[in-house]
Amino acid sequence: MRNEKIEPGQNVEEVLQRFEIPLLQYAARITGDRERARDVVQETFIKFHRNGALSREGETATWLFTVCRNGALNVCRKERRMMYLDEEVIEARESEQPMPFDQLEQREAAGFLLRIVAALPARQQEVVQLKFQNDLSYQQIAEIMKTSANNVGVLLHTALKTLRERYGQLAGDFIPFKPRNTE
Amino acid sequence: MKMNLDDPKLTAYALGELDEPERSTIAHAVAESAEAQRLVDEIRELAGALKNEFATELEKEKPALAGSHSAGATRSLTDIRDDPWFWLIARPLAIAAGLALLAVVSGVAVFSLRHENVRIAHGERIGLPLVRPKPADVQAEFLPTEAALATPTSAYAGGGVERFRGIREPSGEFNTAAYNHIAENPFLGAKDNPLSTFSIDVDTASYSNVRRFINEGSLPPKDAVRLEEMINYFTYDYAQPSDGKPFAVHLDVTGCPWEASHRLVRIGLKGQEIATDKRGPSNLVFLLDVSGSMMPPERLPLVKQAMRLLVEKLTENDRVAIVVYAGASGLALPSTTGDRKEQIVEALENLQAGGSTNGAEGIQLAYKTAADNFIRGGVNRVILATDGDFNVGVASQGDLIRLIEDKAKSGVFLSVLGVGTDNLKDSTMQQLADKGNGNYAYLDSLDEARKVLVQQMNGTLVTIAKDVKIQVEFNPARVASYRLIGYEKRMLRKEDFNNDKVDAGEIGAGHMVTALYEVVPVGAVINPAASGPPVDPLKYSSNDKSTSPRSTSSNEMLTVKLRYKKPDGDKSELVERAVTDTGGKFENASVDLKFAAAVAEFGMILRDSDYKGNGTFAAVLEWAEEGKGSDANGYRAGFIELVRKAQALKRG
Repeated sequence: MRNEKIEPGQNVEEVLQRFEIPLLQYAARITGDRERARDVVQETFIKFHRNGALSREGETATWLFTVCRNGALNVCRKERRMMYLDEEVIEARESEQPMPFDQLEQREAAGFLLRIVAALPARQQEVVQLKFQNDLSYQQIAEIMKTSANNVGVLLHTALKTLRERYGQLAGDFIPFKPRNTE
Repeated sequence: MKMNLDDPKLTAYALGELDEPERSTIAHAVAESAEAQRLVDEIRELAGALKNEFATELEKEKPALAGSHSAGATRSLTDIRDDPWFWLIARPLAIAAGLALLAVVSGVAVFSLRHENVRIAHGERIGLPLVRPKPADVQAEFLPTEAALATPTSAYAGGGVERFRGIREPSGEFNTAAYNHIAENPFLGAKDNPLSTFSIDVDTASYSNVRRFINEGSLPPKDAVRLEEMINYFTYDYAQPSDGKPFAVHLDVTGCPWEASHRLVRIGLKGQEIATDKRGPSNLVFLLDVSGSMMPPERLPLVKQAMRLLVEKLTENDRVAIVVYAGASGLALPSTTGDRKEQIVEALENLQAGGSTNGAEGIQLAYKTAADNFIRGGVNRVILATDGDFNVGVASQGDLIRLIEDKAKSGVFLSVLGVGTDNLKDSTMQQLADKGNGNYAYLDSLDEARKVLVQQMNGTLVTIAKDVKIQVEFNPARVASYRLIGYEKRMLRKEDFNNDKVDAGEIGAGHMVTALYEVVPVGAVINPAASGPPVDPLKYSSNDKSTSPRSTSSNEMLTVKLRYKKPDGDKSELVERAVTDTGGKFENASVDLKFAAAVAEFGMILRDSDYKGNGTFAAVLEWAEEGKGSDANGYRAGFIELVRKAQALKRG
């Protein structure tokens, strides 16, 4: 996906097939609402279709994710969705809701890590998703999230640290290894 | 440079995000700090696991959307794009369908943690542990992006596929995928790369796993096919050592059947056989996975039967203990002498599958039991049987490997027996056996158990040489280029050969190891399709002078050097053999060599290898028939049968 330029006449249908599901999941993560995510992605592709003749400069992925992100954030602002605007709320919610991992089978189940990811602060979730679902570079993620590559590095580093520790904690009851402390 | 372990650069390095010269700086710092190296490994493991889960999440949504895409494809794309209804009606419907399916099927908590957690938790507790990916899904999971990119017009998608493969390369160490990606050994020029160095491998799991796929009616995923394990599954008629060395070395050269202008070199090792009554006393600890997933008949019940076969062969000099692991691990049978068979069998029979897996604790207990009953000069071995769902946290899989590596130094070796039809952690099992000075076999039937545990019992149990490394020096005056078939995961750096600190494979009593090289002789008509594009001659280093003065006038094609250590030794010994190509033809090759070539080509066809040449299933059948020999155990007949089935599957 890296460095793919939007070529003149690039087929919208191809781009749609390639990016539709990743964008949907990205938008759903930001808005926390699948209906809104659907609208946002649809809007993104319509913009891509319309502007196809204009914006030849950017990379397809970066362009799409940027537009999608802006759309999703607009939805959050308009509807005063707290999820993205107030990270404190998210942190609080996280502690109220211990993960339901009383059953060991949980760890064998698919989606275990994604559920821990869903408890990370919003911007960290976003970085993790862009990096590991969409294989984007720090630089591309920085462009999409309007920040520096350095900051992306810090966010991702912090997120992975938390994930490792949390996974270790959950596993701590029955795995004789202590989670590693990186301090 | 002292590495700060909480430096985001370390994460960036682990994920392949750093550019030179920063990358080198961190790489050096990491190489100097075991702690940093461990951290990097952990980050990569976690990243691999995340990629897998995110990819699975994408896969789950695809089927619902696929229908609408194909429906759209019946209309011209231009029409569709210009038609506002497409955007207003068709797409939203498809998306809605996709999301509805996602909500029902996967229950991934991307949308709302608030409302869905409880429901999801219940759903998964009942449903998901039973819903394991089928082989086809495993394949999809391995290269999810390829499927996602597979659009009919290729300029964009094609580039994407390549790039995704490319991006995956630096993270090739991720061991969370079901089958680790194998990039086949390429042809290397003998002038620039006269040395080829690798570790031996006596594992056979890949063949029985491939057999299981084909018998169940599907061709195996490419990366489940490991050529060296296919070739080494079969026994060959190599003479035993007569010079007091632990193994004999056999070398042959013949024509390459799938590429007429090439030569095929076989290196065969045969370990000294040990009569059953000469085997030292054995201290065995069965470490059995009794988690819920082991319930089906081809899992725990098969393992129990297999263990009974082994127990029948034990005597009063041997000891057996049974450690089980599931939600909690425990000692099901304290170390008991081999003549008290009833007691051992009863303990085996009493085992029930249930609960979930706690492999790490079980392994600790097993090694402790083995150490407590250690027999000096005897066989000390933990035999782990599992369906591969070896449950250690991502944060601690590295720890587990290190634990096993550590225990192997104490003289307790490891055998891993994989069972089950969805042996997802094939790569983990292989790695555990590798690090534990052990071997890995896949049991798909009681016959296979008999082969591994009874017929080849001493090979499985008694290690006669460890850290066996092979280095081949090719004579550039005779060899233009060469390619090692298989052993991709066993390649060593040329410096590692003489470095006794570098770990390598073990060879058991009577074990055979076969390695094949495909060689392009000097003066052969180069077929670029078969041997890869030629490399430009060097501009600054003279390419004309041979690098090894000894070899310029020699007729020898190559020299094979072997290093090995005695099972309890720390210093390696060296064996050296040279071979000259006398121009023998494949038609006149020995039955064993013909058969090994057939197995190699079969594997390459299954892998759709770039190097499969002009071989076909039909040709493989022909060579295998010619190479069938006396086939006392019927394994070769089984192979021929398997090729026929694969041929039918390919057609169908």
